[in-house]
Amino acid sequence: MNRLRLFATGLLIAVSILACVPRMAMAHGSVTPDADLCVIQIGYFKAHFKVYLPETHQHEDFCEDLPGIGNSVFVMEYEHDGLAQTPIDFRIIENVTGQGRFTNLGHIEKIDNLDKITVFHHPAAIQADVFSVGHEFDRPGEFVGIVSVTRPDGDGLYTAVFPFEAGYTGLGYWPWIIAGLLLLQLNYLWMSGRLDALRNVFAIVLLCTASTFSQGADEPGISISREGHFQVSYTSELQPLVINSIHNWVLRVVDTNGEPISGASISVRGGMPVHDHGLPTAPRVMSEPEPGTYLLEGLRFHMRGHWELEFTIQAGETRDLVIVAVEL
Amino acid sequence: MRRLGFLVVLLLAFAAAYYAWMYRPVSPKPWTDDDMVTLQSLWIDSLPTLPADPSNAVADDPDAAIMGNRLFFDTRLSADGNVSCATCHQPDLGFTDGLQKGRGIGESGRNTRSMVGVAYSPWLYWDGRRDSLWSQALSPLEDSREHGSSRMQIVRLVTTEAAYRDMYRSLFGRPPDFTDPARFPVAAAPVDDPALASAWAAMSDADRQTVNTVYANVGKAIAAFERTVLPPVTRFDAYVSAVVHGDKEQQSALFSRDEILGLQLLIAEARCTECHNGPLFTNHEFHNTGVLTVPGELPDRGRIDGVREVLGNEFNCRGNYSDDTERRCDELTYVRTGPELLGAMRTPSLRNTSRTGPYMHKGQLATLVEVLQHYNRAPDAMIGHNEAEPLGLTGPQLKRLEAFLQTLATPSAR
Repeated sequence: MNRLRLFATGLLIAVSILACVPRMAMAHGSVTPDADLCVIQIGYFKAHFKVYLPETHQHEDFCEDLPGIGNSVFVMEYEHDGLAQTPIDFRIIENVTGQGRFTNLGHIEKIDNLDKITVFHHPAAIQADVFSVGHEFDRPGEFVGIVSVTRPDGDGLYTAVFPFEAGYTGLGYWPWIIAGLLLLQLNYLWMSGRLDALRNVFAIVLLCTASTFSQGADEPGISISREGHFQVSYTSELQPLVINSIHNWVLRVVDTNGEPISGASISVRGGMPVHDHGLPTAPRVMSEPEPGTYLLEGLRFHMRGHWELEFTIQAGETRDLVIVAVEL
Repeated sequence: MRRLGFLVVLLLAFAAAYYAWMYRPVSPKPWTDDDMVTLQSLWIDSLPTLPADPSNAVADDPDAAIMGNRLFFDTRLSADGNVSCATCHQPDLGFTDGLQKGRGIGESGRNTRSMVGVAYSPWLYWDGRRDSLWSQALSPLEDSREHGSSRMQIVRLVTTEAAYRDMYRSLFGRPPDFTDPARFPVAAAPVDDPALASAWAAMSDADRQTVNTVYANVGKAIAAFERTVLPPVTRFDAYVSAVVHGDKEQQSALFSRDEILGLQLLIAEARCTECHNGPLFTNHEFHNTGVLTVPGELPDRGRIDGVREVLGNEFNCRGNYSDDTERRCDELTYVRTGPELLGAMRTPSLRNTSRTGPYMHKGQLATLVEVLQHYNRAPDAMIGHNEAEPLGLTGPQLKRLEAFLQTLATPSAR
């Protein structure tokens, strides 16, 4: 009796694992899951790939198989700048290859008249920054997506092929039924006292986020560069320093002995590390009115909080980086 | 079976305790010195004087504002004689239209933004594709979905109709003569419409510049009027005054407990003032907040395209029709671009927001409740990256925020 039950439990677990495996191993063609993202490989180009059904599934994104039909949006976020400058041709055809999930480029190339079975075609065009196309699936079915980009050497195309289903029902209710059966089994084991050891185990996870923000000094201090070559101080032409106002800074750059560094080239980046965003403008050092004194123009902060500006200073052969913190 | 019963009772007890905790009566904390700084930064009294617009010589000329006011409400500035600026920017509706998307000749591409206090923003439109009020005013006139007119028709109206002609002359000098049909066709503009575009292309360079100059002046007059549309004092501002003066009685007369709690959430846990800051409750900047696209439409690329467009616009601050002789144009010169701007839209003001729905760039969200729920969830963006993070606020907390937002409504004229 006992062994039978153990066997049943084992069987259920095995079935449920097997039930999950096909999802991972389904023939995704050129689209493969990578961590929690989907990646499409077109020649040596890569892009994050996702599909939305905004009407029915709101913000949920899909790797390929779509659980419904209707309005869909296919999005590719480029991993290579090259894709932003290359015409991309995007086509969806009915999958008539009979190969289902195992359809590949070879099968597509054998099709005589692609246009005849094409349900959506976005002719080759450059889409800067991100690629997005929309198609309304009016009925469920098996389809193949074909993405072609011109090779950078102009010699032919790179093509990616991904078979998928729309109106795909997945495993239906099976995972739920199996999970239900597993729960019943667990409940039986629990009630029959076989899980005594577990009964008293309660895991309590406490997430304590202690954020202490140190208030910066009101007087701008001196910031020392990472390798110690330069010391930088600043005066804001905007007094007091407030948000949402474009303004200039006067930077003072000196060496370790306090001697001014003149003729340096200074580039600026910056942002709010806590919010993971950059500056709202692209400020630049425009002139050096006095030796070692530089005019930084076009600065603006658009939130209160902790900002960091990163200056890369090149003076002669010496190159060093200095971070200036600003509290607003 | 008894154990199962016990488990159910335990679960119910937990649920009851959770709801009791969630809906527990909360009292507002007293305002700290730091809070006071924030409150005063949001106060209408902190609104600086209008920033100058060196690109518009008549920006602060009261006569230009009178002319602009007339132009703003004039439906003759449209293809069918029914559309004026006020068709979408209706004064009674907080200078918006209460629609998902603007409706002129046809349906426009995005939601109509309120125009109140707009002169404080360095950028116009959701995507900031214009850099001055006057250059913005010119685009809807020629948009086939909005006014559907052409610059040739507009300048002819302004230089021939008696009242406009006199106002134009006193502001900008003698208006050019557009009566020669060989040089100046009935309608012409550099737009997508092939008939208008070919008529425009057939004109001489000099004539096109003459038309553009008058057309820009029309925008400058409208801008002068728009600069006079400023936010009024609200109940929130009166409350801050009472806090500043330490008038406890007045404070409790003005604000309910929920409204105070909502305000405390707004400046702290709800993180609204990270973007909705300053006396206009906006930083005039561009942020991707992961709003879902309208079904059937592709995700809106927002600021990343807006930057490209404003840099190439002939009526921008650096263009030939700008009055800024120094051509400093700081905002344009130091404009930022980059992937962060993908899907980013300009932060709207929260003043009068309770009366300016639907919300977001395509009017996707119908009510403030939906907006608050959206920020509470902060879902991943369809394109680009949602800058907001989930807030984890409870239902009662969202209700308090909503209650507070009502205090920013423009008081009725009654």
